[in-house]
Amino acid sequence: MKKLYKKYEMLSAYLDNELSDAEIKKIEEELKFSKELQEKLAELKKVKQLTVSSVKSVPENPFFETRLAATMRTEKPLLAKMRKFAPVLGVVAASLVLMVVLKYNPQIVDKLVEQQKSNITAFYKENLKPLLYTANLNNDDIFNFAFYHQLPLDNQKKQVLQLGSDSKGNQFFEIKQAGLIPQQSNLKKFVESLKLNDKQKYEVDSILHSYASDLQSQVLVNRENTVAINPNIWNFNKALAADLIAFAAKVNKGQIAKVMPADFEKYYNNGAIARAVSQVKSSGNEKYIFFTPDSIFSEPFVFDKNKYKDEMKQWNEELNKNMKEMGRQLQDLNVSIHFDNDFAKLKRDSSWNKDFKVFVDSNGCRVHLSKLFIPPVQIPDIDSIISHINSASGLFKSFSFNFQKPKGKNFNYKYFYNDSTKSYNFKFRSFGFDSTYTSGNGKSDSLLISRLKNFRGSMNPDSMASMFRFFFNDTTNVHQQKQLQRQLQEFQREMEQFRKEMEQMQKQFQKKTPAPQRKSPMEI
Amino acid sequence: MGASKNMKFTKKKKELQHPQILNLDDDFSLIKRFIEGDESTFNTLVQRHKEKVRNIIYITLNNHDLVDDIAQEVFLTVYKNLNNFRFESQFTTWLYRITVNKCKDYLRKMKIRNIFSPIKDSEEELGYTIHPENMDISEIVQKAIAKLPEKLRVPLLLKDIEGLSYQEIAESVQCEIGTVKSRIFRAREGLRELLKPYEQELRA
Repeated sequence: MKKLYKKYEMLSAYLDNELSDAEIKKIEEELKFSKELQEKLAELKKVKQLTVSSVKSVPENPFFETRLAATMRTEKPLLAKMRKFAPVLGVVAASLVLMVVLKYNPQIVDKLVEQQKSNITAFYKENLKPLLYTANLNNDDIFNFAFYHQLPLDNQKKQVLQLGSDSKGNQFFEIKQAGLIPQQSNLKKFVESLKLNDKQKYEVDSILHSYASDLQSQVLVNRENTVAINPNIWNFNKALAADLIAFAAKVNKGQIAKVMPADFEKYYNNGAIARAVSQVKSSGNEKYIFFTPDSIFSEPFVFDKNKYKDEMKQWNEELNKNMKEMGRQLQDLNVSIHFDNDFAKLKRDSSWNKDFKVFVDSNGCRVHLSKLFIPPVQIPDIDSIISHINSASGLFKSFSFNFQKPKGKNFNYKYFYNDSTKSYNFKFRSFGFDSTYTSGNGKSDSLLISRLKNFRGSMNPDSMASMFRFFFNDTTNVHQQKQLQRQLQEFQREMEQFRKEMEQMQKQFQKKTPAPQRKSPMEI
Repeated sequence: MGASKNMKFTKKKKELQHPQILNLDDDFSLIKRFIEGDESTFNTLVQRHKEKVRNIIYITLNNHDLVDDIAQEVFLTVYKNLNNFRFESQFTTWLYRITVNKCKDYLRKMKIRNIFSPIKDSEEELGYTIHPENMDISEIVQKAIAKLPEKLRVPLLLKDIEGLSYQEIAESVQCEIGTVKSRIFRAREGLRELLKPYEQELRA
């Protein structure tokens, strides 16, 4: 069968005249004797004829060449065709170039980043002016800075720079909204309570003034909403507080002794404070911390104090002459740092920064510094001085409080700590020094408890500083109160003893009289 | 007897084809001139071969409408690649191969397109049913040829209509001469089978 099929195939090829001479000879021989093959050949021939006759060629197209020529003319050259790949090729070429460049010059990216960074920092460093110059700080503000660690950042005193330290002793500063209770006339109260004469008053003013000019170079602001802070401001803060306390102790020993820690005297007597103060004033730190609307960074920056000295003088003179007009001009320089979503991003970005940590909330922005940042003051016992200064200046802090008329058994107590976020409204179930208490929402507040541990006090109208409505720790009043308590307890004990004695006497008396009567029946 | 007659007939044809061989040489010289920069010779090449190319496309795709478009593509490809022409084989062989490949490309594209649009053209479908009452013989044969698979149809038509040699067909569709021979035979057998129901009409 297969053989036959091959033969038929040969016939088909024979028909097409595609066989070699030998093959033709062979197939023609076979054809002579095989009827089958002859029939097949006839069939194939017929099919071929049918095919040839029925299939017509496609009709000619006279315009074919013209059309082809036109297409060829419009056909874009290879380069034009490549144009649609241009973006891809561009990217490929760019990445190749980048790869080569990075291969031979790996620092280039770092350099670029550095340059960009310095461009940004340069932008924010421009036109930095002292804060006192723009926020128009007066001696009152500087006095508050000493004891409340707060510096207002703008004319309206809406935002403040707050210095502080957390429970671990790590220092931080915050830029935040100012508390609800404005701090007013604290300096005046200070002066009044110390019963200063005019000369001494002038001395206080000059101390504050001398710090004011130093503080100038510590906090700088500009129109770009930048606040540049020199970490040395901490030391200035301590020095100023120490200076004022030392001054207060000098002029009115009797009054100050009531509020001072017991062994504080030895520090201001042996000149340690004076040394610390001069040390702080002479030490400089050229690295500032920049708060800007889009980043927080630390950069070396040299502030030219002398450049502003004359200008400041002029300003102050004019300020005194024409208060209103100058005030309006100063308003232009107001700083207002907005804490929005960008700052949340900033927090993420700067969390890797080993120099400082940034915490942002709706109220403000807090920057924790590593200790290295603050230039150390080279006095051996400075730490102990500082702890004393802190505890001393802590006594100068004021609370405002509000007792409402007792409703039933409960006392309402409002507590303001110059800061809306740290103010409490809580109730005492019963009023007593070691009573249990609950805060406004009925839950005990751990922060409050820790604060109230140190809180033993009452109104103290004749204390050295009349502005202190409440005292911490060891005031004489507390002693008196404690003594009274002890006396009362003693009295109670005595009373109890007396009662017992009385009872005994009664028993003895009862024994004496009816005893014989009772005895007799028993005897009977 | 018939066989010898047939042989004579084919021999005559061979003789007739002879001058064409000279023409092929002429193709070479035209191409050489084209490579040297005389682009006008391309027109001569187009004029000379366009009908063959168009016919091959028509045979392969069995569709009038596509012929000119694909023929244009073929000549554009030729134009772009003519500079690289190596004078190892005949120009026509190269040209037909390009043509057949273009047709294959088109069919492949259509196949992919059909995957995504599964609804077939109903008219095309109807075209396969033959209504002999309204048709003459050539129409019947054409329909039958259209029914053949492409693999068989193209070599058959290249041989019988275009008169290409087995060698040329083999090079155009890129297969062995033996395969061409076998396919042409199978095409004829298939055609015969398809035309069996119409024997009467065909005889008439």
